[in-house]
Order: sequence, then structure tokens, then C-alpha cells
Amino acid sequence: MAELLQLPFMQRALLAGLVLGLLLSQLGIFVTLRRMAFFSDGIAHAALAGAAIGLLTRRDPLHTALIFSALLAAVIFILEKKSRLPIDSIIGILFTSSMALGVVLISLRQGYQPELIGYLFGNILAIRVADLVLIVLLGAAILAFLFSRRRKLTLLALDCEMAALAGVNPDRYELLLYVMLACALVLGIRVLGIVLVSAILIIPVSTARLFSRSFRALSRWTVLIAEFTVLAGIFLSYYLDLPTGAVIVLTGSALFSLAFITSLLLRRS
Amino acid sequence: MAPVLEVKDLSVRFAGITALEHVSFAIEKEAIIAVIGPNGSGKTTLLKAILGLVPYEGEVRLFSRPLRQVLPQVGYVPQRFAFDPTFPLTVEEFISLTCRSPERLPVHGVLAEVGMNEFKGKLIGELSGGQLQRVLLAHALLHRPRILFLDEATSGIDIEGQGDFYSTIQRLNREHGVTVMMVSHEISMVYNYSDRIICLNRDLVSHGETRSTLTAEVLRKLYGENSSFQPHDHAAAPPRFDAAPAGNKGHHG
Repeated sequence: MAELLQLPFMQRALLAGLVLGLLLSQLGIFVTLRRMAFFSDGIAHAALAGAAIGLLTRRDPLHTALIFSALLAAVIFILEKKSRLPIDSIIGILFTSSMALGVVLISLRQGYQPELIGYLFGNILAIRVADLVLIVLLGAAILAFLFSRRRKLTLLALDCEMAALAGVNPDRYELLLYVMLACALVLGIRVLGIVLVSAILIIPVSTARLFSRSFRALSRWTVLIAEFTVLAGIFLSYYLDLPTGAVIVLTGSALFSLAFITSLLLRRS
Repeated sequence: MAPVLEVKDLSVRFAGITALEHVSFAIEKEAIIAVIGPNGSGKTTLLKAILGLVPYEGEVRLFSRPLRQVLPQVGYVPQRFAFDPTFPLTVEEFISLTCRSPERLPVHGVLAEVGMNEFKGKLIGELSGGQLQRVLLAHALLHRPRILFLDEATSGIDIEGQGDFYSTIQRLNREHGVTVMMVSHEISMVYNYSDRIICLNRDLVSHGETRSTLTAEVLRKLYGENSSFQPHDHAAAPPRFDAAPAGNKGHHG
């Protein structure tokens, strides 16, 4: 174990995993409260087009995916306010269109593309120093906003009118939440991949909700469960020689199942 | 003394449908003001326009100022609070949501004021309808508002609970000088607890002191023949009847 922790790629993987576990799990509290799971999944899948633009133009796919997804989140917000279409229809249209665009753009590149598999399913052990710096800086900025505006974001999620009368600008906060969520999801793609990233948003908070008796307890348990899931997943995947993203998600699912069965048994007794 | 609330020529339209038209009135001093009218008459819309929650034409001033300048002095209890009841949020945490420093604000004081202090550790999703309305009232009182808006705050609460709720409102008004503007369908409660009344049916049908304004003729104008409320039967007596809402005339009743 000590030797493993000396390895630079493992140090980067663990630090990135811990930052993303904290970031995505805290955002997950608002995602589940506002029922935005489909938005999260849609944005993550749509990021394929952003990554494809990077691969095609020989720019960093993480950067292009960040810009593309943030813009897409803003477009979803505007369409939600301006059109009469339900939000899930808007997300469904934009998510499938973006994925289709990504597939078309990727097909324009010749030959085998190993990066694509990394973006689809994540590769935490291939995180570069530049990726880590971006994850830590952007993650810290989003977390600072979340922690400093925690009460306002919660009130907004509970009742928009009460929040407006408490001095919250609902449109500004919602737009910021959408864009920050999109950015956090793209950062998470490096670890879990497009297909699996929303799991770390949803599973830890859903597990914590099964036994939390206050918002404070929910926040703390969500972080603990997310960090344990990420660390256990990384080590298990290393020793079992299995894909890291998938093992992290399966670890989270196993914890959820355990908590769910325990809560059912406790309720019966 | 500056009027508490001035509404001048207020009109609200939603996608071409008129919800309120040319409504004007002024409340000169602290009072309990009831807004009544049939479904679709614009009661909730009036409240939301005053609170800046819907776009409107006309002018609204609270304490002779625009709403934005007096927002901290305004409390609001919504008609419905559609939250996820399984979300783990305690009463105390909910009340604290509008505080930057909860320890500096009288969270326990406002809960005690509405008789809910013993429920502070309970989850809001586990409260009864009446208890939830009291918690929403406590939330609205946290910043010591000078004016409180209630949008059918007792709908879905039993008669006894309504009486308790309105008694609390009356005490806030009499002891703390809080002006209360409440939308209500419960004419008996309005008759017994409000000082002034605003009768709406998209435009202003009548307004003034409750006992003199709430006549059988005004009620017939509002509710048609559905109303059999007899004001004289209800003075300081337990409520026995509420006007049945007339046909729906539009949105945002």
C-alpha cells in the first residue's frame, strides 16, 4: 500500500478522486432535491461533442468539453425559460443532438482512437498534472460558491417565490447552478467517463438520505460516502485490475444496497 | 403618517388573459386586511403583483417606497409549499435558511411565537398541514416584518387549526403592529378576524372596513347566489359557513 501511494499517477488519481468526490456529491444534494438527474445525465453525454471538437482540432478535449457543456447548460436554461416545452424534452433534444454531433465529428478522424474510450468510461490513472490543476482550481471555485450560498440554493430548490422574497435572484442562481453542474460533470468525466459520471452525483446522496435525520447530517454523510466510494473504488480497481470508473460506481451501488436493505430491516423491527 | 400600502391602477395580464384590471386602493395604518373573491378573481395575482412575483402595470408602494427597498420588512406565507417530503430538513434548519448567521436571529423565538418550539428537531416532511403552515409563518416572521402576506395560508387545515392560526395572526397585529394582508376563501374567519376587506372579481368590487363592507349584496356580487353567508350570524361566533367559490373565471385565483 505504501509503495502504491508513492507512485505519482496514483497520487494524482487519489487527489483528483477526493476533490471530485466532494464536489459531485455536494452538487448531488441539489440535483436530487431539484430532481435534475436527467439534466446531469444529459449534460454528461452531450460533453462527447465538446471532447470530439477538441480531438478534431487538436486542442485539449477537457477544455473544449468544459466550454461546450457550460454553453449547453446555459442554452437549456434559456430554452426552459423562453419556450413552452417541458425541461425533459429540451434536455432530451439537446443531449441526443450533441451526442450525434460527437459521433459524427469523431468519425471524421481516421484510425483507432484510444482517447475516446477514456472519455466514455473514464481513466483516472491517466490523469495528467494539468488535468489535476484544473480539477482542483475549478472544483475549489465551485465548492466555494456552493458552501457560501448553501442556504440560498436550498431555499431556491424548496420554493422559488420564498427565495425571491429572501433576496435571492432565482434566474441568476439557477443559471449559475446549471453551468457549475455542467463544469463539475465534465471534470468528473476524466475519472468516471461520460457514461458513469452522474452516478457519483446521485448514489452517495441517495444512500445518505436513507438514514439522515437533518440536512447537516445529510451533507456530512454524503461527503463521507462519496469519498469512501471513490477511494475504495480506486484501490479495488487497481488490485483487481478492473476499469476504475466502473468499480467506483459498483462500490457506490453496493453501499447503497446495503444501506437500503438495512433501512428496510430497521423499519420493520 | 405614510400609508402602509398603496396600489394604483394595477393591471396584470398573462398571455393576453386579464387577471386583474385597474385595481387601486390604499391601506393607511396597521391592520388585518382580507382579500376575498371567487376562484379566478385575481386574489393570489394581486398578492404576487404586490410582492413583485408577477409582472404588472401600475404602481405599488410599501411604506411609501418600492418593494425592492423594503424587502427585508416583508414576510410571505405561500398557499402551497411543494417540497419533497422525504428530504431530510428539520424545522429549525428550514427556518434558518434565510439567515446569514442563524445564531444571531431569533429562530427559537419565532418558533415559540407560533407554538412550534417543541417541533424544531422534527423533519418538515413529517409535519401535519397545520403544523407546516405555522412553520411557514415562523419563517416569514424571522426578520420581524412590518407587513405579512398570507396566500390562503389555512387551506387544508381543520376549523380548530384555522381558529388558532388566525388568533396568532391577530396577536401579531395587535401586539407587534404587523400589518397582515391575507387571501382567504373562509368568509367567516375573514368576518371575525380582519379589520379591512378588499373584494375582487378581476377588478375591485368593493373595499373598506370589514363589518360595513361585507354585506349580503357585495357577497352576491362576488359569489352570485352561491353565497348564503349572513354576516350578523357570525359576529364573534364560531364560523359555520364559508362562501362556495363561484365558477372559475381565469387563472391565478
